[in-house]
Amino acid sequence: MPSTPNFAPEIPMPKPLLELSELSIGFTTGHRSIRPVHDVCLSIYPGQTVALVGESGCGKSVTALSILRLIPSPPGHVLGGRVLFEGRDLLALSEREMQQVRGKDIAMIFQEPMTSLNPVFTIGEQIVEAVTLHQHVGRNEAYAIAEKSMRDVGIADPHRRLLDYPHQLSGGMRQRVMIAMALSCQPKLLIADEPTTALDVTIQAQILELLRSLQQERGMSILLITHDLGVVAENADVAAVMYASRIVEHANVGELFENPQHPYTQGLFRAVPRLGVKASRLVAIPGTVPNPGRFPPGCKFHPRCALAASRASAAGAVQGVEVATDTGTVCVPKQCHATEPDLRETSREHWAACHYVAGYAKATATVPRSASQRATEVPLPVIPMAMGEGGAP
Amino acid sequence: MTVPAGTISPTNLGIADAAPPRNYWRQVFHDTFAPTAARLGVAWIGVVAVLGIFAPLLANTHPILAKIEGHVVSPMLQNVTVPDVALLALTAWTIVCLVRRCSPSRLMLGALIVVPVAVLAALLLTHPPDVVDYTQYREMRRQGKIQWELMAPIPYSPYDFQRDIPDAELNAPSRYHWLGTDALGGDLLSRMIHACRIDLAIGLIATGIAVVIGIAIGGLMGYFAGWVDLLGMRLIEMFESIPQLFLLITFVAFFGANLYLIMAIIGLTSWTGEARFIRAEFLRLRRQDFVQAAISQGLPLSSVLFRHMLPNGIYPILITSSFGIASAILLESTLSFLGIGLSRDPSWGGMLNQALSAGGTFVWWIALFPGLAIFLTVFGYNLVGEAMRDALDPKLRT
Repeated sequence: MPSTPNFAPEIPMPKPLLELSELSIGFTTGHRSIRPVHDVCLSIYPGQTVALVGESGCGKSVTALSILRLIPSPPGHVLGGRVLFEGRDLLALSEREMQQVRGKDIAMIFQEPMTSLNPVFTIGEQIVEAVTLHQHVGRNEAYAIAEKSMRDVGIADPHRRLLDYPHQLSGGMRQRVMIAMALSCQPKLLIADEPTTALDVTIQAQILELLRSLQQERGMSILLITHDLGVVAENADVAAVMYASRIVEHANVGELFENPQHPYTQGLFRAVPRLGVKASRLVAIPGTVPNPGRFPPGCKFHPRCALAASRASAAGAVQGVEVATDTGTVCVPKQCHATEPDLRETSREHWAACHYVAGYAKATATVPRSASQRATEVPLPVIPMAMGEGGAP
Repeated sequence: MTVPAGTISPTNLGIADAAPPRNYWRQVFHDTFAPTAARLGVAWIGVVAVLGIFAPLLANTHPILAKIEGHVVSPMLQNVTVPDVALLALTAWTIVCLVRRCSPSRLMLGALIVVPVAVLAALLLTHPPDVVDYTQYREMRRQGKIQWELMAPIPYSPYDFQRDIPDAELNAPSRYHWLGTDALGGDLLSRMIHACRIDLAIGLIATGIAVVIGIAIGGLMGYFAGWVDLLGMRLIEMFESIPQLFLLITFVAFFGANLYLIMAIIGLTSWTGEARFIRAEFLRLRRQDFVQAAISQGLPLSSVLFRHMLPNGIYPILITSSFGIASAILLESTLSFLGIGLSRDPSWGGMLNQALSAGGTFVWWIALFPGLAIFLTVFGYNLVGEAMRDALDPKLRT
C-alpha cells in the first residue's frame, strides 16, 4: 500500500494484528432486538494506534468488548463477522482458549478507574494474580514484575503502593495502576475504552503521554475508544468515525483532520471550539443520536445531516422527501432516505460512507485498511484543540 | 534531629507516625464487636466453646491423675476418645496460628493436616474399653486402693449414671451435684458441659453445609443469570417447600437418631436463604467494572466467582449464617425434646425432654438449666448477627 505524503515512509506490514471483518453484534430482549454494531471492519497493525471515535451510544464500546468476548450473553450475541487476532478467529475459540488470550495477548483498560479495581484486595494482589496466571512465575517473581510495571507507569514508591488498597489511591493513580496491570503481561494489543474520560485534564494529558511512551517502548498496538477528538489528534495513527452502529469514515489521522469528508465528521469538527476564535455559542449537530431500536431507514445520519438538507433544497422538492425528526420535518434527498451508503474508498486511504462525498459514485467499496503510522518527529497537522484538553497549541 | 518551630515537616504534620489505614474487614470486625450486647453474645458462645472443647478435663469420673496400688496412672488419658483428641488438636493448632498471626488459608490448610494426624494417633495409641465401668473408682476408693488422686472439678462423666449409688435419680441441686441429677442418675452439669459439643457442632456444621451449598448454587445463579437462574430458583422453591421437621422425623424413624445424619439434613434443607442472598449479590456484582476487569485479564471462572466476587458479596451470608446456627440448635433441641433426637448422647433439648416425662412430675432443675443454656446460646448468636448486620450494611447506619 502506498503511503500518504504527510506521513513517514511506511514499513511494509502485510498482516494486521487484529482484524474485525463485517462484525455485527445484536442484543435481544423479549421480542425486541437491536443491532448496536453493524458490519464493522477495522484493522490494527503492530505498533499502530487506531482510534474509534463516536458519540455515546454509537456502538464503539460494544465493538471493543466484543473483541474480548465480554458482551453479556444473553442478551448480546454475535450476528456475523469475524474477529481475527494474528489470523485466529477469536469468536471461534473456546472459553478456555479465550482466557489465554485475555490479559496475555489483548489487555483492556476501562473508563472508570474508580470502580475497576477490586476494593477488597491490595493493588499488589490484583496485579500478581494475573501475572502468575499468564507468565507461570512464582509469587516473589510476580511481585517483582508488578513492582517494575508500577514503576514503568510512573508510580512513585511502587513497593509500598503494592500494599495499598484501591481506596487509598486517587483516580489518576488508579488509572495508572490499571495500565500497569494491563501491561504487566506484555500484551500485543491494548484496548483502551475511554481511558481518560473520568479524569481531570492535567491527569488526562499525563495518562495519554504515558500510553504514547509505553507504546513506543514496547511496540504494542492500541485500540483507543474515545469521543474526544483532541485525544485522537494526540495519540492515534488511524481513526475510524462511528455513527449509529456503523463506521462512516476511516482515514489516517492527518488526512481526517485536514479533509473530513463525511458530513457527520465535518459536524463533529465544527462542534469543537477553536482557540482564538470568538464565538458566543458552540456549534452543535442538531438532534440526538438515534436509539438503536429506532434507526432511520437509509443513511442513519440523514435526519440530522446538513449536507442532505442543502442538497435537497438545491435540487428542488421533486428530488426530496419529507422526513420527520425530533425537532420537526426536514427535506432530504430520496437517495439518503432510501439506501444506506457503504464505506467506499473515495480518495487514497480514505474511506467514507455518504452519497454526496466527492467521487463516491465512482469509488469502489473496499475493506478499509491503513497500516500508516505517523513518525514521532513529524509535527502534527493543524489540529483544533478539543474542549477539555489542557495546554496551548 | 531537631525541627525548628514553625517549619513544616512530616513529623509535625503527624504524617510520619499516622497509623496505617484499617482494611475493610478489620473495620467490620471492630464495628461488629463494639456493642456491649454483641460482646456478651460472643463471650457466652466462647464460654460454651471452651466448656465443649475441654469437657473431658472439666467433668469426668475418671481421675486425671491417680496413684492406684502404688502406680501413678492417668485413667482420663486411657479413656480419651477420638473426638476429644481431634478437638484438642484443632484448638491447639488454632491458638498457634493466632499467636503467630498466620493467614486464614494457612490455618485451614494446617487444620486439614493436623486433625487427621491427631485422629490417627488417637486411634493407634488409645485403647478405650468397650464398656466403661464408672463404678470401679468409687469401689477402689472404698477399699482404700487409691492413695491419692487428682479429679476433674465435676467428678462425674456424662454417662456415669451412678448405678452403684441408691436413689441417685432426680436429686435436686446439692453440694454433690451442683445442678442436680437427671432421671437416670447422671450428673446434670456434667451432661450439660458435654452437650456443649453437640449443640455447637450441630449449629456450626449444619450451617457450614448450608453456606457452602448456598454459595455454590446462588453464586452460579447470580453470575450466569438467564436460564441457570430460572432453574436454580425453581430448585430453591422446591427445597423451601420441604418441611424440615417432618423430614427429620421421617429420617430418624428410618435410620435412627444419628448426629451426623441430623446435621446433614438440617444443612441440606436450609441453604435456600443463603443461596437467595448470594444470588442477589452476584446479580449486582457481575456487572461491576472490577468484575469485568477481572474477566478481561483472563482469570478463570473460579477465580472471578470466588476470589473477586465472593468477598464483595459475602456479608449477607455472614449475617444469615449467624441466625442459621441459632435456628439449627433450636431445631435439634426441638427434635430431642420430642424424644426422637439423640437419646443417649447428652444434648440440651434431650435433657429438657426428661423434665416432664419423669413420673409425670415437673422437675424444675432439668427444665431450667438446659432451657437457659439453649436460650442464651440462641440469643448470643442472634446478638452477634444483629451487630454484624449493623456493621456490614451501610444502609442501616445512622
